[in-house]
Amino acid sequence: MASGFAARSPQLAISTETRLKLYRSMLECRVLEKRAYDLFMQNLIKGTSHLALGMEATAAGFGMAMRPDDYTFCTYRGHNHTLVRGVGMTEILAELMGNSAGLMRGKGGSMHLTSVKHNMMGSYAIIGAQLTIANGAAWSAQYRGTEQVAVCFFGDGTTNIGAFHEALNFAVIWKLPVVFVCENNLYMEYTSIHDVTAVEHPAADRASAYGLEPVLIDGNDVDVVYRTAQRALDLARKGGGPSLIEAETYRHGGHSRADPGKYRPDEEVKAWLAKDPLPRYRSRLLEMGINAAEIEKIEAETNAEIDRATEIARNAPPPPLELADKDVWADGGSAWRN
Amino acid sequence: MAQLTYRDAVAAGIAQEMRRDPNVVLLGEDVAAAGGVFKATVGLLDEFGAKRVRDTPISEQAIVGAAMGAAMTGLRPIVDLMFSDFFGVAWDIVANQIAKTRYMTDGQVTLPLVIRSANGAGSRFGAQHSQSVENWSMMIPGLKIVAPSNPSDVKGLLAAAIRSDDPVMFFEQKSLYAVKGEVPDGEHVIDLGKANVLRDGKDVTIVALALMVPRALKAADVLKEQHGIDATVIDLRSLVPLDTQTILREVAKTGRLVTVEENPRLCGWGAEIASIVAEELFWDLDGPIVRVTTPHIPLAAANNLEDAQLPTPERIVAGVRQLVD
Amino acid sequence: MNVLMPQLGETVTEGTVSSWKKKVGDTVAADEIILDIETDKVSMEIPAPIAGVITEIRVQEGTTVEVGTVLAVIGSSASAGVEAPASKPAVAPAPPPPAAAPAQPSPPSWYAAMPPDMNTAKEQYTPPAPSDTIRQPAVSAANVAQLGAVSRDDHQRLSPAVRRLAAEYRLDLNTVQGSGRNGRITRRNVLEFIQRQQNAPAPRAPVAEAAAPSHLSSVPSTRAPAPAPAGPPPTGAKTVPFTRIRKLTAEHMVRSKATSPHVLQAVEVDFHRVDVVRRSVKDAWKARHGHSLTYLPFIASAVCRALEQFPNLNSSVHGDSLILHPSVNLSVAVDLGAEGLVAPVIKNADRMSVAQIADAIAEIAQRSRAGKLKPEDFSGGTYTLSNSGTFGTLITAPIINQPQVAILSTDGVRKKPVVVESSEGDSIAIRPVGVLAQSFDHRAVDGAYSAAFLDKVRKILETSNWVVEV
Repeated sequence: MASGFAARSPQLAISTETRLKLYRSMLECRVLEKRAYDLFMQNLIKGTSHLALGMEATAAGFGMAMRPDDYTFCTYRGHNHTLVRGVGMTEILAELMGNSAGLMRGKGGSMHLTSVKHNMMGSYAIIGAQLTIANGAAWSAQYRGTEQVAVCFFGDGTTNIGAFHEALNFAVIWKLPVVFVCENNLYMEYTSIHDVTAVEHPAADRASAYGLEPVLIDGNDVDVVYRTAQRALDLARKGGGPSLIEAETYRHGGHSRADPGKYRPDEEVKAWLAKDPLPRYRSRLLEMGINAAEIEKIEAETNAEIDRATEIARNAPPPPLELADKDVWADGGSAWRN
Repeated sequence: MAQLTYRDAVAAGIAQEMRRDPNVVLLGEDVAAAGGVFKATVGLLDEFGAKRVRDTPISEQAIVGAAMGAAMTGLRPIVDLMFSDFFGVAWDIVANQIAKTRYMTDGQVTLPLVIRSANGAGSRFGAQHSQSVENWSMMIPGLKIVAPSNPSDVKGLLAAAIRSDDPVMFFEQKSLYAVKGEVPDGEHVIDLGKANVLRDGKDVTIVALALMVPRALKAADVLKEQHGIDATVIDLRSLVPLDTQTILREVAKTGRLVTVEENPRLCGWGAEIASIVAEELFWDLDGPIVRVTTPHIPLAAANNLEDAQLPTPERIVAGVRQLVD
Repeated sequence: MNVLMPQLGETVTEGTVSSWKKKVGDTVAADEIILDIETDKVSMEIPAPIAGVITEIRVQEGTTVEVGTVLAVIGSSASAGVEAPASKPAVAPAPPPPAAAPAQPSPPSWYAAMPPDMNTAKEQYTPPAPSDTIRQPAVSAANVAQLGAVSRDDHQRLSPAVRRLAAEYRLDLNTVQGSGRNGRITRRNVLEFIQRQQNAPAPRAPVAEAAAPSHLSSVPSTRAPAPAPAGPPPTGAKTVPFTRIRKLTAEHMVRSKATSPHVLQAVEVDFHRVDVVRRSVKDAWKARHGHSLTYLPFIASAVCRALEQFPNLNSSVHGDSLILHPSVNLSVAVDLGAEGLVAPVIKNADRMSVAQIADAIAEIAQRSRAGKLKPEDFSGGTYTLSNSGTFGTLITAPIINQPQVAILSTDGVRKKPVVVESSEGDSIAIRPVGVLAQSFDHRAVDGAYSAAFLDKVRKILETSNWVVEV
């Protein structure tokens, strides 16, 4: 189901080539997160990591619709959002493992994946911060007249924090080219979003408070996500200002590695697993007449890629100790005194 | 040379840099049309237009966050935070995001931004609008901190802050806005991290910041004329980067250190300097290190109460006399 | 407990063990003399700091060691019963202390350098009862003279800067005056003390390595440039090595000339009135005082009185300032012949009469010749009189005794014809006449000032009613 401009507009055509790319993209996200899960279980990834298994469609759909020079901002659950901007599996796994092959050579970790050269402007661990920052990137694009758009991902829990409200209002009054995407997976950390929110749809039902159109979509249907993304990006690029999109989805695992997610009712979990975006899309592609062999080829290539990436990442050395006090300042150092 | 007020020096410094670099932009509450609540940004909207000088809603998190996002993507924003006490509202963006992002991203992100605010007391605004909060930022690695004491330093240091590729917290002392001083004509830039020795004496070294600098100078005159004590006075100008070498060199000459701090006692910047001197210059100290500070209490609104709370020249004189024998 | 080589005065950095009065194994009482030591200026008896048995003697007679070196070790009485091997070094296992006697806490290193009287004074002191109206001084008057500023409360409150400088320069802080609050020794006090030391012969380099800290630039280096080394002596010539005192004198003289720009000025004095008095009391004086009354005490007295009006000549240069001394401590040069030149000090000479000065000079000369001068005899001099007159010289250009700024040489007094003016007209008389020549430091004063001072001295000598002074 869809509402808002995704529902109103005619179906934008999606080519077979694009669909295959969408599938590949979702599959890459899936195998990456699954591999991260396995490595964590083998104690090769320490600390915490927040997996987005089951939430591949939102990442893949937007990733496909964005231009290379558009900006991504997302939460600490951002491995997928990083991957879809073109960052390698090796760099992501190695960053999770905290070694010198990592995207930030181990200095940031899972929650802060950033690749400026891919315009992936960061994963943010404090709820709500990235919305205010995404506004700034959008303002910068507007100021420089480049038609770049900032896409900002956040969870359902974010809609109750102050920064959300400040950022929405700010983006609207300055008519910033920013797309706010709420990936509503129905749970904040361990608490159901419904229990703590004054409205039913945490993002869509707040849109009108900021003069925005409510947009509520099936976040597990990558075609819907893709089309919605295109519309929102197009609006922003043409100076039409921000959008707020609520994409309903579900995570297969708990909030973080430490959490087996036992607080969700079995029925609910079962129902959502049935709407797993990957098998769902695979079936759709086959129904559309796409050759199974092509799909299997994508699957084989993707599996080979994750294995290759894992091998390289596992064998990379730890970061050099000299790195510890580098890059506090722009001159590469950290001196606060002479 | 021109005679400018401290507040006009702010506008002059911003204007100098905005003329020089089209990526410098200014945002904040009431900064554009109204010229700032302290009238420190008068004339900028007229000269640079509404695209570069923008009024915002009352949304400190959104304002500071927007500055960060803009700085990440090619602009050099200046935030006007109005009252430094409001850092509390935006502290996540400052301490968790701005201060740490370059480090966490292994140097991928550069944040050439300045957050200006009106800091400190003396204007009877009460406890929530009069704090000296330099030490809040000093405790967070990744932030540069500047607090000028006079109009020339305002312009020169603000220019340097804007040119810096690092995030700079620029603390203007609100009670100094009307003070006039000589400001050099033409391009004026003063490097960050260089303290200024304003007075040379042989008996004691007084280190002060912002509003406390003119008070320390006044105290030094009294000490000389009435007590025969000859004091060096150092205007620290920046807390980060800290000009430790100047402090150590000057304290080594006199063997005695007094800090004068507007902030409340605990964890004030003077404690850090006292610690550095006690560690690195211990064998040159000819007496205990004395800190003259506001006591560890919120600031009162009434004239006489607020005046009594902040260090006065009399208290500075007393602090020095207790030390110098 | 260690017996250390003490610092016998401001300028001293070494000492020589001249003779041991005790040997290893001897039992000694506290304060009993155990050895004699000497420096270039004085010899001194060293007492045992505690009662006990001498367990080690580490420095043999005739050996010169630095101040602070351990000379001997005394075991406390409690362990006296245990046999201590006489010739073994300290590595021999120490006997376990008997349970009955508590171990002595080891005293600070300066303890051994304190005169023995201090210890006895402590034992004798009883705090006054609250009802006492006459308060006992904490230290006896004799000790005050020896210890200088020690009697004030904060003299021993040593700041880190003071401690470090004392350690680097091996100072006995008991010899440093404290001018801070309650007698506290300030860093400036120590820096000035060091500067005076540096102006004196052969100070040791500071213990601290690496470049001198920049803050010590306030202590100007006064090292004279080393003279160019001479070639080998011509054949047939005899080499006479400098004695210790010759060496030290040589260094002091070179340094003094390098420090002070010397200017010589002289006046010719008619000693007629002085001579009249001298001759009139001559025998009675000698009988009463045990020494002859010479011209020197009169000259000394005149100098003291003139210095009251010309205080800049009774001073020391410190950086860009002149430190004017509050009293006149007259250094009187005494020629010890082969032993060299010493200049012991008569303190507060400006408060003395001619007779008192005469006695003081005689006393100090006698002690000098007997080798009985003490460290405090050399400290605190503010102006020097150099008496070369016994050999009848005309004039001498003396070298200033650092850190003073002037020195007066008294040369021969001989009968000469002089013009005597009177209202009836001029006439010739035979008078005893002598030249007083002053070398002054041109940093401190100019020629006119010095000339006026000398004129004053001359007038005092020529016109005072000296009869009442003797």
